[in-house]
Amino acid sequence: MPPAIELRRVRKTFGTKVAVDDFDLTIEPGTLVGFIGPNGAGKTTTIRMIMSIIFADSGDIHVLGKTSAVESKDRIGYLPEERGLYKKMKVGAFLTYIARLKGMDATGLDRKVRGWLERAGLGDCVKKKCEELSKGMQQKVQFIASVIHEPELLILDEPFSGLDPVNRKLLREMIHEQHAMGRTIIFSTHAMFEAEQLCQRVLMVNRGAKVLDDTLQDIWRKYDPKAVVVEPLTDAPDLLAPAMREIAGVHEAVVTRNAVELRLTDGADSARVMAEAARMTTVRRMELKRPNLEDIFINLVGGSAEAIRAELADLNGAAAAQEASA
Amino acid sequence: MNKMMWIAWREFCTTVFTKGFLLGVVMMPLMLVVVGGAVVWMKNFSGPRIQGTVAVIDQSGQVAPRLEERFSPDFEKKEAEELAARVQEEIKKSEAAQAAMALGGPQAQEQTKAAMEQATKAGPEISLVVLPRDADVEKEKEPVKNASIKRASEDGSKEEGENRLALIVVPPGAVRMEGGKFEQYQAFFAQRLDGEVQQKIQRRVSDSIVDARLETDERLAQAGLSPREVRELIARPWAEAKTLTPGGEKKALGELTMLIPMAFMILLMMSVMTSGSALLTTTVEEKSTRVIEVLLSAVSPMQLMTGKILGQMGVGILILVVYAGMGVGSVAYFLNRLDLVSGASLAYLGVFFLIAYFLFASMMAAIGSAVNDMREAQTLMTPVMMVMMIPWMIWFVIQRAPNSTVAVVLSFVPVTNPFVMVIRLSGSEPVPTWQIPVAIGVGLLSVVGAAWAAAKIFRIGALMYGKPPNFATLVRWVRMA
Repeated sequence: MPPAIELRRVRKTFGTKVAVDDFDLTIEPGTLVGFIGPNGAGKTTTIRMIMSIIFADSGDIHVLGKTSAVESKDRIGYLPEERGLYKKMKVGAFLTYIARLKGMDATGLDRKVRGWLERAGLGDCVKKKCEELSKGMQQKVQFIASVIHEPELLILDEPFSGLDPVNRKLLREMIHEQHAMGRTIIFSTHAMFEAEQLCQRVLMVNRGAKVLDDTLQDIWRKYDPKAVVVEPLTDAPDLLAPAMREIAGVHEAVVTRNAVELRLTDGADSARVMAEAARMTTVRRMELKRPNLEDIFINLVGGSAEAIRAELADLNGAAAAQEASA
Repeated sequence: MNKMMWIAWREFCTTVFTKGFLLGVVMMPLMLVVVGGAVVWMKNFSGPRIQGTVAVIDQSGQVAPRLEERFSPDFEKKEAEELAARVQEEIKKSEAAQAAMALGGPQAQEQTKAAMEQATKAGPEISLVVLPRDADVEKEKEPVKNASIKRASEDGSKEEGENRLALIVVPPGAVRMEGGKFEQYQAFFAQRLDGEVQQKIQRRVSDSIVDARLETDERLAQAGLSPREVRELIARPWAEAKTLTPGGEKKALGELTMLIPMAFMILLMMSVMTSGSALLTTTVEEKSTRVIEVLLSAVSPMQLMTGKILGQMGVGILILVVYAGMGVGSVAYFLNRLDLVSGASLAYLGVFFLIAYFLFASMMAAIGSAVNDMREAQTLMTPVMMVMMIPWMIWFVIQRAPNSTVAVVLSFVPVTNPFVMVIRLSGSEPVPTWQIPVAIGVGLLSVVGAAWAAAKIFRIGALMYGKPPNFATLVRWVRMA
């Protein structure tokens, strides 16, 4: 079976700005890939090139074994970042129209549209005009529009932006269902925790270049910070730190807000360190620290780490604010 | 192909099945009928009658009695009756009017009768005052200066005193020839007196003077001719013109034939403009609501554009067929002159509609895809509209001289070419045969060119947001792709 998506040395410039630079990518069928990176990293441009909506300056793109998505448009579902509906069109009619454009037969289409709307909690909206729906409801309709024709490959550009936590959860479930049915899914986001929650594989881009491309498991292993976090139940962390520093295999004990972070030497036995630490105090929580994508990302991008951290904080703040207001 | 048809179908439905469109297409002809009817109906209301006197100083002594006769109530009644009889006669002769009457049923006949009664009754209420032969002209002008154009009050009560609307002075020389010529009479009218009333008074005066001349001239008596015979001799003959056609004799319609090329052009313009601007609106809507990206994930830009253009072509054809059908139908039914609209000219209308539509639609699709909202579109539309307006401005010149240099040149200039050709081909003067294929060729070439450029602009423009493009940008996009 050919890869679902294959990009070879793809490059795209807008005027003097390089949006995507020498991009290589292979996505195997059936995988769920998170495509992450800050705003302006080249995510949407890459996705649009995969969709043959815009064309690369150089390089090869293969989608579902064809040289262009144009030839397999009916087998691809696409939720664009910039999304819209016909304001005056009825929700049911819109979905039917899109499904017809995607090459679906009329037989059973009505039932299918209704089924999907029920699934998304929009059962009573079939006859409503698109403009009567709230923004979150419209987004769900758009998601349905991208999956209604049962595509083999699903490309979702920022599917979670603007959704409240309940709808985020619903959408996550629906994406999981699609994945369970064996479909290849690639979704982009600038909120990295979404990717951590959802995907098997992470693709990280910055300034048009790929900075990371691996499974989540491998990323966690590779970027294992080799640290144990100990949160004592009653004892003050700063008092415990000097003693814990002496445990074999620990080369540093850093006091954080209400815990001690034990950085381990290479080859240290983390299980033994944890057992030792547990003997010293009653623990509320103890864990082998897991790297998070945000830290990895900042680590990888290096130089301008501070700037990016600020940017990410902004983005997450904005996402949180959006959620709060939703 | 199938997808394109779906796009076309949606495009057609969203444009046609809206209240605005249905009202526009149905209401327009209905409005024309209503307004036309209202104008005819309102003509029956000449407003309240003018009341006053006409003073005459008859220095010849021959005219005043005849004038008195003409101003008598009996004469007015007789005149009105004659008019009514003539109208009835005309109606009997004219099939068209009869058809209209039949169509309206008894109600219409009743209305016509009522209108006729109204017309005969509503003349100005003017009485004649005969002043002494030697009255002072200057002094008698005074009341005219101060006259007011009063309307007769509803209850018919008369105002006190004389309201002199006019003063007529007939010198002796007006009746009796002196030195080989007649003297002119003088007429003085009050300010703001209705032109029709003035004409009516003048007509009566001049008729009376002619009567007086005929009756006082001894030569007529010597020749044994009565004034009545002389009047009959000099009455101007008038013939009802007929147009000869292979199908037989038809009533000549004069100006109506001139209107047909204009009607054709308006038809073409209206159908092209309506569907073309609907295309612009839907394209801008798709762009500004960002639906376009969803569509482009299912179809190629070329399919989308073609589908939209075909859909709106359906709208244009619908308008064309509805209006042309109504036009041809009414020409056939009311005038019984179907020969005025030849099958060939209708076929050419169809051909040039397609050329004009595809040209205009390509431009609209390109503009619609390039801009972010309607306001930006207006800026780019202005030059297009200006070119489109050229046929409007000079249709009369072209229709008058369909084979003039201007007309021929404009027939071969893209954009104006379909409109000018339709005017020329639907007119009465034949267009040289070689010009028709050449004009169609020019039209097709311009369509191909416009569609090619539009496709390139559409592909880039559809996903381009931000700074609104100007013409230079559009040209660059065409060169780029």
